Amino acid sequence: MSIAWLIPLISVAAFVLLAFVGKRLPGGGAIVSLVAVAAGFGLAVYGFFDLRAADVAVNEGPGPFAVDFVSAGDLSIHLGMVIDSLSITMLLVVTFLSFIIQLYSVGYMRSDPRIHWFFAVVALFTAAMLGLVLANNLIILYVSWELVGLCSYLLIGYWWERPSAREAAKKAFVTTRIGDVGLLIGILVLFKATGSFEIDQIFEMLTAGEIPAGTITLAAVLMFLGAMGKSGQFPLHVWLPDAMEGPTPVSALIHAATMVTAGVYLVARMFPLFAASEAAMLVVLTIGTITAIFAAVLALVETDMKRVLAYSTISQLGYMMFALGAGSVTAAMLHLAGHAFFKALLFLGAGAVMHGTHGIVDIDKLGGLRKKMPVTTWTFIIGALSLAGFPLFSGFWSKDMILSTAYDGGHWVTFAVGVVTAALTAFYMFRVIFRAFFGEARSDEARNIHQAEPIVAIPLVVLAFFAIVFGWLGSPLVGAPFGAFVFTGHHTAEHGESIWVVLISSAAAILGILAAYSVYQAQNPGAASIRSAAGGLHTFLAKRAYMDSGYQWLIDNVSMGLARFVAVFDRKVVNDAGIDGAGAAVRLSGKGLRRGVTGLLYNYAALMVVGIVVLAVAVLLGSG
Amino acid sequence: MIEAIPLDHVVLVATALFGIGLYGVLSRRNAVAILMAIELMLNAVNINFIAFSMYVSPDPTVGQIIAIFVITVAAAEVALGLAIVLQIFRNKSNINVDDLDLLRW
Repeated sequence: MSIAWLIPLISVAAFVLLAFVGKRLPGGGAIVSLVAVAAGFGLAVYGFFDLRAADVAVNEGPGPFAVDFVSAGDLSIHLGMVIDSLSITMLLVVTFLSFIIQLYSVGYMRSDPRIHWFFAVVALFTAAMLGLVLANNLIILYVSWELVGLCSYLLIGYWWERPSAREAAKKAFVTTRIGDVGLLIGILVLFKATGSFEIDQIFEMLTAGEIPAGTITLAAVLMFLGAMGKSGQFPLHVWLPDAMEGPTPVSALIHAATMVTAGVYLVARMFPLFAASEAAMLVVLTIGTITAIFAAVLALVETDMKRVLAYSTISQLGYMMFALGAGSVTAAMLHLAGHAFFKALLFLGAGAVMHGTHGIVDIDKLGGLRKKMPVTTWTFIIGALSLAGFPLFSGFWSKDMILSTAYDGGHWVTFAVGVVTAALTAFYMFRVIFRAFFGEARSDEARNIHQAEPIVAIPLVVLAFFAIVFGWLGSPLVGAPFGAFVFTGHHTAEHGESIWVVLISSAAAILGILAAYSVYQAQNPGAASIRSAAGGLHTFLAKRAYMDSGYQWLIDNVSMGLARFVAVFDRKVVNDAGIDGAGAAVRLSGKGLRRGVTGLLYNYAALMVVGIVVLAVAVLLGSG
Repeated sequence: MIEAIPLDHVVLVATALFGIGLYGVLSRRNAVAILMAIELMLNAVNINFIAFSMYVSPDPTVGQIIAIFVITVAAAEVALGLAIVLQIFRNKSNINVDDLDLLRW
């Protein structure tokens, strides 16, 4: 398909148009952005059928078409796009969700004075994300990677009048940057070893065994560092909960459905590289496992609805990572796509609540919303069931696939952690539901809430539909069509879904929901005593395990100390001694030397004679 | 006979002449006198050219040609120097070089 480059380009054009004349368009020019992304979705659908119809091995696609970008000496960089099952899956998810969420934003952001800028940056983000997905080349991938980071920064800090939004934007940018440096170094390590930025060529050399094992591990781990930053993996997860300062549609689109999954996509795209190094796979598996359980535990005590969802996103990204680490691209990508739908649904539901209450997201202040906003409540519950892995919902199938991957691979610890995390996930999601949507309203805003307008409600219903059905693509009951579409040559064995895994994970989900019901709805007296007994643990978790304050301490003391030293060094040594010193030396020597410039002719003549005599004597002595 | 005058003597005369000229350049305050002293130094050089050309060089004409060049250049130099001195005199009614110390710190 030679029109692949059009997909991101349309959104770039929308960005340019909106950034320059968006202010003068009616409704902030939202229609421009919507049309652009709808066209992108149309092209992605076309590409999907094109790929299915093409008479080639499903996972190879019609291949990249390359454009010469740089050609200097031995180095030549071709830029191109790759259309394969992996990128088509991401294309469909990104364009579809971007469209739905922008539609929702039209209602949600209507009264915002800078709405044109919102849609401009969302269009730019969509373009960058599509570029990232389509890149067949590490250069385009890296540039797009940084562009989505920039858009994330701009949108987290969209309400820059609020200091907390500015701080959150900075935190997100700086934290992901730590990972991005790793990614860049990883790309350069690969380039040094292979002399190519093209992913295909790198894999060719990889299979030919031309890259030393140490280099493979080094490059894979460095690139995974980039994925950790972007996908909020432990210990670089701290930026994602704060990123909820941005408008809710942004949280749904960027910080739940698309950008944060870029790290997972990167590992999936470079999977042969990771698969070639056992150490790198172990790193991915371990980090993913830690992230999954750690974020789920932190979500237990968070009272901000959006932040609970943020921790849940981190936790689910951990699932995807350990699925990759356990060797299944199919499971990770199915969970990625399914998660994108139900997590976007949950965020948009939270946004509808925020919209109705004028910004209240603290679940301690909500309650009883069920009667006032039935559509939001029921779609939210569908999303939560899907996220919790309740049987037959979308998340159930993908979570099962991930858990059976861990089970089949013999990663017992990861499997156990995955099951526990599934129970915790069900618990904290239903904690939010029982606290926010059931019971009695605990504030005036919650009492006076109203149902969302149709343009906000329709996306919720559409996403709820997908939150139920999407995972069926990976269900063995219907022949698992997703697994036949997205897979890697390295992992050909079809997962025989063990019935035990299915039962255990279903039990975990139901147990979590029942526990949440007993604690928050039935107000079981035993729960209160447990809570008071674990007061210290609660404080520890509510302070986010002191990681944020720890990082802040590191920045204040170590980074700032170093910066202060450098500042003093710069001022005293470089500036005072170096630059000013050189100037002073010239000035002083000039002051001394100018005594000789008398302007008197006979002084010059006499000096000239003396000079000649000295030279003559020197020559005579030298030759004598 | 020409051979009766040894090279040493000629060089001595030239050196003496050069010394007189140098002394004149260094001690005189009158710009015209300095120009005249420079002429003396140039002529001392000319004598050396002629003498070495005659006694040392295999081709005696080389030194003579250079001497003629020196005379020509000296004439030009004096013409230029006197023109400058004339301009200085018109401006300052004075050609004492000690007063010409504008190019200093």
